[in-house]
Amino acid sequence: MSQTTDSQATKQSDRTALLALPAAVWLLLFAVAPLFMLLIMSFWTSTIFGLSKEVTLENYRVLTQDPVYLLVLLQTLRIALTVTAISLVVSYPIALFLASLNGSRKSALLLLLFLPFWTSYVVRTFIWLPMLGRAGLVNSTLISLGLIDAPLDWLLYNEAATHIGLVYVYTLFMTLPIYLSLDRMDPRLAEAASDLGAGPLRTFLRVTLPLSLPGVLSGCVMVFLLACGAYVTPQLLGGTTGLMFGNLIAAQFTHTNNWALGAALSIILICVVFVILILFGRRVRLDDVFLRG
Amino acid sequence: MRSATLRRAALIAYAGLFYAFLYLPILLLIVLSFNDSQLVGLPFQRASLRWYAEVAATPDLMRAIRNSTLLGAASAIIATVMALMLSLAFRVEFRGKDLLMKALLLPILIPGVVGGVIYLVAFGVTGVPVGLWPAALIAHVTWVLPFAFLTLYPRLHAFDRSIEEAAMDLGATPWVVFHRIVLPLIRPGLIATAMFSFTLSFDEFIRTLFVVGNDRTVPVHLWTLLSEHMAPFLPAVGVIVMTVSVVVSLAGFVIAHSADRWRDGPKP
Repeated sequence: MSQTTDSQATKQSDRTALLALPAAVWLLLFAVAPLFMLLIMSFWTSTIFGLSKEVTLENYRVLTQDPVYLLVLLQTLRIALTVTAISLVVSYPIALFLASLNGSRKSALLLLLFLPFWTSYVVRTFIWLPMLGRAGLVNSTLISLGLIDAPLDWLLYNEAATHIGLVYVYTLFMTLPIYLSLDRMDPRLAEAASDLGAGPLRTFLRVTLPLSLPGVLSGCVMVFLLACGAYVTPQLLGGTTGLMFGNLIAAQFTHTNNWALGAALSIILICVVFVILILFGRRVRLDDVFLRG
Repeated sequence: MRSATLRRAALIAYAGLFYAFLYLPILLLIVLSFNDSQLVGLPFQRASLRWYAEVAATPDLMRAIRNSTLLGAASAIIATVMALMLSLAFRVEFRGKDLLMKALLLPILIPGVVGGVIYLVAFGVTGVPVGLWPAALIAHVTWVLPFAFLTLYPRLHAFDRSIEEAAMDLGATPWVVFHRIVLPLIRPGLIATAMFSFTLSFDEFIRTLFVVGNDRTVPVHLWTLLSEHMAPFLPAVGVIVMTVSVVVSLAGFVIAHSADRWRDGPKP
């Protein structure tokens, strides 16, 4: 009797597993297969007559010989790193603050934290043009305060503007996992530390900070990855000096029409991402980073 | 005690600055969208609705809004149905589950730009024409699917399976159990997931730009306008896009949360 129910249960569970099929087929066709095509194309070459499907390492050879690619890659990693660091510094106190609240005030401020991120990052990036431009808010405020006579030109179209834009666009992905790890922490732990005579700084450094590290790691990895693949922000705010690897990739498809080289550049960027994921990915909680309310 | 109050005050002051950083640019955009000036910027001339009127009178923009809405709705429905089936499947063990989970996260983890050009390459090689249907739809569903799953799965995972088992013991078929028990319980979660998916698709830009061809979604249209020059009606377009996303997201958020409260019972 129990054997038949067991085999029925197995059959049932096999049939339930079949429900994964549509998504599995979809992902195979539209996530995994395109990745392979990209990899294959990176070994082809683009010529004036179109793509040559002869397998060669030509694109990768070009990448190692022309220093511009390596320079932009290093610049991109540097920008991504500083953006991550700034986001961490900006986000940590606010996460601490939100975790210390309770009741309706906490819900309201959390909602206010989410709201700006519920809209297109194209909009969230381009709003910095009227902030930092010649007739922008910053310049007109400084002029009306009498601090400057003429509008400052250097607020936009450089690396600093790219930094501001990226921090603005991605900071939620840092704030949220840190807040969640702090919020899950048992407040009695910090109380116990201070009861035992630890000062506030010591309590923070020895109890609160170590317990929030999983959130910090999730946030740092995610912001770093997002910043590595940035295209919109450097394109709109970065001018010529603040360009990043993503702009270099896009240019192969939109301007120089060298798809094979673009594919090789994409593979390089994917490798960077995968190395980071292999190093830290296991401890990243994606569901924390992308929680929606 | 005194230093604790001081620390608290510093934290509150910092929070004020942080929220100002978040909202100042948005408020400026809203103000500028009503500014009766050919120049996108200050000083504020006169309040007017002329840029909104201009947007409403521009067929290109209205077509882009219609395209984005249709694409968002189609992506949301397809992704939510697949995410629901996948979430049901993920409640049992099967071979290749870990691998499937890794494939599911690919669209999130692949850098944005690469996520765009990858379809240009794949569709170019296989001969799928660029455009809204099906090229952009395929890109959008693939992008939205992991988020839909991450939103839906915890809701399905959380509720008590003993109700379903009881129904099965009483002879209900799996379809009846799903239709009569599971579906009513997760309906708010499903609606919230679909709305979240809609906004993700509605706002999506970089994975659309390369495959959309000559068709225009709102973010892509905004982008082409931006790369030409800073047209005076751009703040109004930005405010419209922002309003659509925020209203739909907020509705999804409210539906999901009120359902949680109902399910968990009144809070003590």
